[in-house]
Amino acid sequence: MRLADARALLPDIITVAGEPQADLRLIEAIAGWCDRYTPWVAIDPMGGALADDIERTCSAGGFGGDAGLLLDVTGCTHLFGEGEAGERALLADLVTRLARRDLSCRAAMADTAGAAWALARFAERQADLFCPSRGQRDALGSLPVEGLRLDPPILETFLKLGLRRIGDLYPMPRAPLVRRFGDQPLNRLDQALGTLAEPIEPRRIPPAFRTRLAFAEPIGRAEDIAAATSRLLAALCRQFEQAGVGARQLEIALYRVDGSVDRTSIGTSRPNRDNPKLMKLFEERLGELDPGFGVELMILAAPEVEAWSGTQDALPDQNAPGIASGVDGTIDLADRLALRLGAENVVRLLSRDSHLPERVQVAAAVSSKPAAAGAWRRVASLKGARPTRLLQRPEPVEVTAFVPDDPPSVFHWRRHAHRIVRADGPERIANEWWRPRSDGTHPPAGTLPPVRDYYRVEDDDGGRFWLFRDGPYQLAANGQPTARWFLHGFCA
Amino acid sequence: MPVISPSAFAPPDRRAANDPATSVPTALREKVRRLERANSVQRSGKAAAVPLGIAAIDALLPDGGLLTGALHEIEAGPCPSGRVAPHDGAALGFAAHLLGRFGPGTILWCRRPTGRFDAPPYAPALSSWFDPARLLMVTAHRDDDLFWAMEEGLRCPGIAAVLGETRAADPTAGRRLSLAAEKNGVPALLLRAQPAPPQSVCATRWRIASAPSCSTPGLKDVGAARWRLELRRNRFGTPSAAETPSWLLEWNDETHCLAVVPQALHGSPGSHFEERLVG
Repeated sequence: MRLADARALLPDIITVAGEPQADLRLIEAIAGWCDRYTPWVAIDPMGGALADDIERTCSAGGFGGDAGLLLDVTGCTHLFGEGEAGERALLADLVTRLARRDLSCRAAMADTAGAAWALARFAERQADLFCPSRGQRDALGSLPVEGLRLDPPILETFLKLGLRRIGDLYPMPRAPLVRRFGDQPLNRLDQALGTLAEPIEPRRIPPAFRTRLAFAEPIGRAEDIAAATSRLLAALCRQFEQAGVGARQLEIALYRVDGSVDRTSIGTSRPNRDNPKLMKLFEERLGELDPGFGVELMILAAPEVEAWSGTQDALPDQNAPGIASGVDGTIDLADRLALRLGAENVVRLLSRDSHLPERVQVAAAVSSKPAAAGAWRRVASLKGARPTRLLQRPEPVEVTAFVPDDPPSVFHWRRHAHRIVRADGPERIANEWWRPRSDGTHPPAGTLPPVRDYYRVEDDDGGRFWLFRDGPYQLAANGQPTARWFLHGFCA
Repeated sequence: MPVISPSAFAPPDRRAANDPATSVPTALREKVRRLERANSVQRSGKAAAVPLGIAAIDALLPDGGLLTGALHEIEAGPCPSGRVAPHDGAALGFAAHLLGRFGPGTILWCRRPTGRFDAPPYAPALSSWFDPARLLMVTAHRDDDLFWAMEEGLRCPGIAAVLGETRAADPTAGRRLSLAAEKNGVPALLLRAQPAPPQSVCATRWRIASAPSCSTPGLKDVGAARWRLELRRNRFGTPSAAETPSWLLEWNDETHCLAVVPQALHGSPGSHFEERLVG
């Protein structure tokens, strides 16, 4: 219905602009909250696909009208009670808690996502919302055919043909149905009845290892949260030990009484299940968590685990004993530093086989294999003298040279003239033609790769610099030399 | 309180012992220093000092070398002409030389990038002094974080030495670093690209400027790197005859040897330094 039509029918109607993005945020917040019941939570794709298109959203059951969440609670209901009683208790708990926050919802539970979807939307009696195990065929029979999640044209044809109930489809011969309508109606029916599997894609990948701790009374003090974390961590480390793995990443989530969730995570450079060390890493982060009005549930999960390699990682290398073996606490130090400064800011240096000076040194994560002892020495011995500092980007300098191919006699850098009294060079370094250029293209065949001529120079003050000319000396058509000079590093 | 043998109070060299005017303060200073340090050194079980390998300098330093478990400051000095040094390549080389003498273990290198014109240390050159595989590079974007990272490193048992590259001079942070270094017997170095106000707690403070090298006769090539080194502060060491002892050093990249250039060979344009040399 258009707004003008609505106004004509009801002149003092209150109108509010639709905000699909805000709706989406709310749905995501509720989905995050639902992690308390199961890690396997998905936003109903029927709603999500339509969220961009507000015209269709309201008519076909997207956000704004009846957005949905799908929860796979397999294996989670025992936390609320044994067998069917636990399932009913979970459903009742979900509805009450949402109702307490003024969110009206209808929740149904069934063996299949399709059946639960239909029941939540079209069940007429409250008692029908819970469908006992393997009872979906009876429960769905009396529901309208809209509950099958069909495309609008097929649905329209079904209604025209008088197929109004899902049960009307049960006795129909399958082959003519497929010929007439394609795969969709029967697939949807089979999915709802459980003869065809329908995987639910979770919003967040459920972690393999997870522990939870629910509190009778909400907690809010930092000490209580730390104590709870410690208990969760101990339980999780026992799980790790049984499975023979160690955590690379851990995430702790605080479920607050107002329904919001606060999370923080820590990362480690190698598989770790050392309870005190992990707790020490968490202590850095717990201060960032805001318990709000109180925390009623905490979940500690390990989204990333790796096979446990034992305490003896490697035999200590005689020349690089510390960082290679990690037994002396260096790895733990790196983890602590990375937590505060960011993992990209705590690195070790690896050498790379390359002729270009800026490509030789590469920063690598602490978890990567360190350079072999003496590898750097070999790299250095193959090349000429190298500067102790290398500029990240070579800086252009103005140069005066008496003879074009000679090292310059004066160069100007940052408004200072440096008169060169001694020079070594050139050391010619050709660009690596076998590597694609930065834009991914290869230089055309037959063209010479650009070369650099490096000079080590000393000015009259004793300062030593590393300069290069990007290409041999040539004169362009206008009489200007084509090659430019750059400063690339500072020597000892 | 550790037991200290009476011989520990003996003045370190004969010249001081013969001169009654210097022997008493020297002995007292030595005593105070021993009391201050004996505890930490005994606990860490590491060598109290690491010699630089240059006899003239080691003689001035306490225990014949650079103290482990102390804060040392290295700053780039001005050029011989008095101009501000355009870069601190020489100071970095000297710092790397010092780092190479401490070990074995990981070297924690904390630096604060200087923005667009940032020039990080280059490992192929550092490999002359130590294996860069031992390096753990830390980039901090705030001085607080840098000092914190250095302090964490000093407390870690696997760390051989910690170096911080920053322009900031924070007395509290310097004091904390010095205490952490002393407690754990791990040396802390501060590398400054520009002269900064001194940290009052540092054990030694060095100023290094590049000096003109010596070409092969008849050629205009760049010779072995030469550095003008000044020891501007020597907290626990022997007082020297000169106000600030200064040396001209040469780093031989082939023999990996740092040595004082004999005075007779000072043929370079930086000869106006000579009158300040210690023989």
